[in-house]
Amino acid sequence: MATNELSESGAVYVPGWAKSELSRRELLGRMALLGLALPSASGLLAACGESASVPAAATPSKGTTGSLTIWGWKASLDALKLIDGDFQAAYPNVSFSYVARPPADTYRNIQLAIAAGSGAPDVSVIEDSHVSQYVQLGALADVTDWVKPYVSKIVPYKWTWIQKSGRYYAMPWDPGPVAVFYRRDVFQKAGVDPASIQTWEDFYQAARTIKDKTGSLMWQQSKARNDGRLLETLLWQQGTGYIDAKGNVVLDKDPKVLQTLEFIGRFWKDGLAADQESWTDPWYKAQADAGTATVVEAVWMGTFFKSFIAPNATGNWGVFRLPVWKSGGSRASNDGGSVLAIFDQSKQKEAAWAYVQFHMGRDQSQLDIYQKTDIFPSLKPTFQDPFFQQPDPYFGGEKVRSMFADIAGQIPSAGIYSKDYQQMSELLTAEIQKYALGQQSAQQALSSGAQLIRERTHRS
Amino acid sequence: MLNGLRHRTGRLPPEGSAAQRAHLLVAANPPLAGWRRAIRRHRWPLLFVSPFFVLFAIFNVYPILFSFWLSLHDWPGLGPMEMVGLANYAELGHDTIFWNSMLNSALIFLIYVPLMTFLAIVLASVLNAGFLKLQGLWRALIFLPNITSMVAAGYTFRLILDKDSGALNHALAIVHMSAIPWLDDAWWARVSLGLLMVWAWLGYNTVIMLAGLQTIPKELVEAAKVDGATVVQAFHRITVPLLRPVIVFSVTLSIIGTFSMFTEPYILTRGGPIRATQTPVMQIFSTTFTDLRFGYAAAESYIYLAIIVAITLIQFWIVSRSDPVR
Repeated sequence: MATNELSESGAVYVPGWAKSELSRRELLGRMALLGLALPSASGLLAACGESASVPAAATPSKGTTGSLTIWGWKASLDALKLIDGDFQAAYPNVSFSYVARPPADTYRNIQLAIAAGSGAPDVSVIEDSHVSQYVQLGALADVTDWVKPYVSKIVPYKWTWIQKSGRYYAMPWDPGPVAVFYRRDVFQKAGVDPASIQTWEDFYQAARTIKDKTGSLMWQQSKARNDGRLLETLLWQQGTGYIDAKGNVVLDKDPKVLQTLEFIGRFWKDGLAADQESWTDPWYKAQADAGTATVVEAVWMGTFFKSFIAPNATGNWGVFRLPVWKSGGSRASNDGGSVLAIFDQSKQKEAAWAYVQFHMGRDQSQLDIYQKTDIFPSLKPTFQDPFFQQPDPYFGGEKVRSMFADIAGQIPSAGIYSKDYQQMSELLTAEIQKYALGQQSAQQALSSGAQLIRERTHRS
Repeated sequence: MLNGLRHRTGRLPPEGSAAQRAHLLVAANPPLAGWRRAIRRHRWPLLFVSPFFVLFAIFNVYPILFSFWLSLHDWPGLGPMEMVGLANYAELGHDTIFWNSMLNSALIFLIYVPLMTFLAIVLASVLNAGFLKLQGLWRALIFLPNITSMVAAGYTFRLILDKDSGALNHALAIVHMSAIPWLDDAWWARVSLGLLMVWAWLGYNTVIMLAGLQTIPKELVEAAKVDGATVVQAFHRITVPLLRPVIVFSVTLSIIGTFSMFTEPYILTRGGPIRATQTPVMQIFSTTFTDLRFGYAAAESYIYLAIIVAITLIQFWIVSRSDPVR
């Protein structure tokens, strides 16, 4: 399938934020293709049922052959390519080609391929936020026997969305441990010691001081174009979210959700948040120019600072752990993260597993990727590597790597990602925007958001 | 063509001729044999036009019929389809988000189409006037936005309309006007989308109007002028009424265009803020690809189609009733 031009040239990978440049004509063309290909779907579906079981050997033999197609977005594929030389040496008979599209286009193409019954890649990078949809649909290959040896070696929360009825359907890649990235220069000028920020209330007070002393705003939260990501991150920290463990909607029932949204709201009301849309030029610019004092984000944010947002700001940024909501509470949260999945349609699952295992399951591969890209490993043995104890010059020589490894191991389980995540996030986002613009209360936002989610995802 | 055939078979052919035998055959077995005969007789032309119809059947008729079948089912895109009868349509009846997207399109239509249509008529009249030099150049320039990539234009408009760093608000500041939240307010976002639509489609509509103007005999306006009409009067009383069918045609296209807007809001506003610029097609897209409810999305498409057809028919009816030319 042809890649679209813009995805190749411009678009930056933004984890979880589905940016897409699919034109209407292209879309209609693909829809037509889908309609055309449908009659063949039933036949292929029947065939899929037979191919469910996979060989038990955890490591494919060196003689494995295959010619794989691998989908993903530029940043992720660039990271995978770092390992290709070693992989070729280990599996000389497996060839592969990559197709890079922005995440949203990757998912749409996957969905069309699934619905059409053919055309899916052998392997694709899929974000944790989206993978559950495909697992529940039954589009991914059952890789239980292959990944079993890794279950205890990988940070446990990563397995949450790729399980169904005790079977596993993908191999985890990076986790998204969250911390507070802060401008050292701004904090210094304001006389705020980051170590003194223990609770979110401390964080709010620091925001006031920083604005008074330096004019910088504490964080960036767009009102009309809010994407709901910060709320999700802060809820995740408290082990809550859209739904509870049973799948029931808790947005309007769990008082923590209301408190958190109102906490974000205080920054809007008191003029402590910059109104810039995430992942746009004004957003990057404020970070580079110290217009914003902090960015609450996952470890992969470092890649963006270092590569294009503020490549010359070495030493200006620092990292501290999330403040707590109540004493003794969790200081860990997650945002984003991804897996490598093999599709059920693939006719070369063994070769695909050879690729996935070599890139994801091998300590050295994960270390190589992390050292060059800031895409964090979830493979626990890699955390013992001396690299994690070395200071990171970009962050003023702090030992941020071991800190993130520590956070990754403590990420609580929370009802943010699920098969309906996309839909729930879109429905709530509009309500948050309405709250941010002062057109409804936080309580109203959550109750109408919860109501819409219940109706449209058939939950209680 | 049909009239011609009827005319030819209407006269009795001479006794004993081949044509008479054929005629008797047609008379004995009228519809079927007539069709067969017509097909055989026109087999070469039919063969030559068939590629279009074959492609049309595969890429248009089949998906349209299949969509209807799909709209009676629940289907997440994989696995068996579950027949649900008209349940999807019943659910749509009280789907506030879907009807809100319809309302958005109607509001956006009211914001930009009257303005765009007026400008198109004025521009077309200027281009049609004899005094203008370099007509081809002006026409090309006016049409240029329409062939520009909407994705590129959409991103450019996003930059220009940004409330803090956008050129438009900087310009307003120079003339001491306060900044406008072009993309950060439900109503302004609709206006901004309207601006983008005018920019992109003005040239296209101007060309349609121009074609219409060129069919109006110059003598009519000249005669009116001889009778003492001013330029504005002649335009208002002669040109516009005679142009009426063309205006209706262009507005009808604009209705269809506004309800099926996708790329423009998808790039410029992403349907926000607070879903204020979410159009029906965006909603169908999101039902398909975000919610994975293929059957429900098909039902949305059918309702959307029915509404557009209804609006178009009503418009044609109004025009045919009051067309001064007929």
